[in-house]
Amino acid sequence: MIVLEDVHKVYPNGTQALNGVSLEIPERDFAFLVGPSGAGKTTIIRLINRDETVTTGSVFVEATDVTRLRRRDVPQLRRRVGVIYQDYKLLPSLTVRQNVEFVLKATNEFDHLSDGLVEETLATVGLTRRTNHYPHQLSGGEQQRTAIARALVRRCPILVADEPTGNLDQESGWETIQLLVQLNARGTTVVIATHNRTLVDTMRRRVIEIERGRVVRDEPEGGYYG
Amino acid sequence: MARLHVARYLLGSALTGLWRNRTMTGGAIVTTAIMLITLAGFLAINDTLNQMVTALGRKSNLIAYVRDEARPTQVTAIIDDLRTRPGVGEVQFVSKEDALAIFESRFVDQRDILDVLQSNPLPASVELRLNDPSVVPDLAQELQTMTTVFDDVVVPLDVVEEVIGISNLARVAGSVIIIALTGVTLFVIVNTIRIAVFARRQEIEIMKLVGATDWFVRGPFVAEGAIIGGIGAGIAAIALVVLYAQAAPVVTRIVSFLPVSTDTDFVRNLAVFTLLVGLIVGSLGSYFSVRRYLSV
Repeated sequence: MIVLEDVHKVYPNGTQALNGVSLEIPERDFAFLVGPSGAGKTTIIRLINRDETVTTGSVFVEATDVTRLRRRDVPQLRRRVGVIYQDYKLLPSLTVRQNVEFVLKATNEFDHLSDGLVEETLATVGLTRRTNHYPHQLSGGEQQRTAIARALVRRCPILVADEPTGNLDQESGWETIQLLVQLNARGTTVVIATHNRTLVDTMRRRVIEIERGRVVRDEPEGGYYG
Repeated sequence: MARLHVARYLLGSALTGLWRNRTMTGGAIVTTAIMLITLAGFLAINDTLNQMVTALGRKSNLIAYVRDEARPTQVTAIIDDLRTRPGVGEVQFVSKEDALAIFESRFVDQRDILDVLQSNPLPASVELRLNDPSVVPDLAQELQTMTTVFDDVVVPLDVVEEVIGISNLARVAGSVIIIALTGVTLFVIVNTIRIAVFARRQEIEIMKLVGATDWFVRGPFVAEGAIIGGIGAGIAAIALVVLYAQAAPVVTRIVSFLPVSTDTDFVRNLAVFTLLVGLIVGSLGSYFSVRRYLSV
């Protein structure tokens, strides 16, 4: 469950990114955040992961008030929220498998390195044959799937994706979304910020439209335009 | 088991980082070693000077010559009082007879002089051996005011004061140099680690975004700093032990009055101290280098 209550965000340079956003995304929901560039979609994702802090208002993730979270408790939040980025954020010097393992090491879950979880996760995202490849040897879609595997291996109950198909061709983009749909069917809450009109129109899932820092539309089964 | 994994991860990451950055690492290790050898050298000089002051204090017998007409009870009372004073080690009364015996034993050839005089012209005296030579001037002045008891007070003041002066100067200069050298070592290590941190900023960002704790991100860098400091200090400690073993006997032979410590305890303590300084400076330097990159 993700809840934003009257959230305002003003960046230090004076840009008002969010202007009173309130929304609720229940557990197991699948929602698209749509809107023009600069509308505030990425800011919402960064607030959920406490990559940014609100100016006023509250953000709750699974009953945790993210805005009041102490610095030392932020890692616990981030272990429950997997974030997928447009630029994948993979480490170029590590293979697919090592990139996934890296997250387990970074979160001090060394026991899972040898219990088959990594293999299982890579199989889920369809990368079993690419485990020893480096990111530059992969297609955009495969890189994005590696990034999803990285979020998945931590068994995050919430996945937020910021333009996950932005750098992908239509087919790879479609495969990526299908993967996220599968994860959602298994119980993961999925929030996707996107510009991809075709995708949103085809999926007919919940659509939250943001414009100039405000929620202007929230439909349970919508298209890119209302 | 988990701790073992963490330790292996920290060490592995640190060693990989050091190897990736090996030119800077080598430079930092050499600089640290040179700084620590110099630092240990100053500590050894300081120790020698301190020992010299102590040794001179033991030798600097402040001698107060007792008037023949002074009453023995008065002298005894003064001796008892002197024994309670801080910085005063030993107080000895040398009677006229003792003085004569000493004179006779030291100047066997000139016994005739005393025979001519027929009586004992040597005065009794109170001899003081001091643990702290800095009390000498005040004590001498005090005894000199007791004109009814003491005829004269003899103090090798100039030497004592000079040694105290040199020792104080060396202590101040040594402290300044030690602080400066520690600062330089810290600066070199901080910059080496900063470069390592900069090279791995993407890794750090990802670690933070997936929920790594500050300590987990910082750990490998602190380990890198500790390794640089530790290896640098290790080289310095070995060089110190070897140099000391070679140089101390030579210095003692050439300048025999210098009380250079040659005991193994002193050198061992100095080597351990150098190692600790290296490890602490290395770890702390890294800790602060990586701090600003943790605000992701």
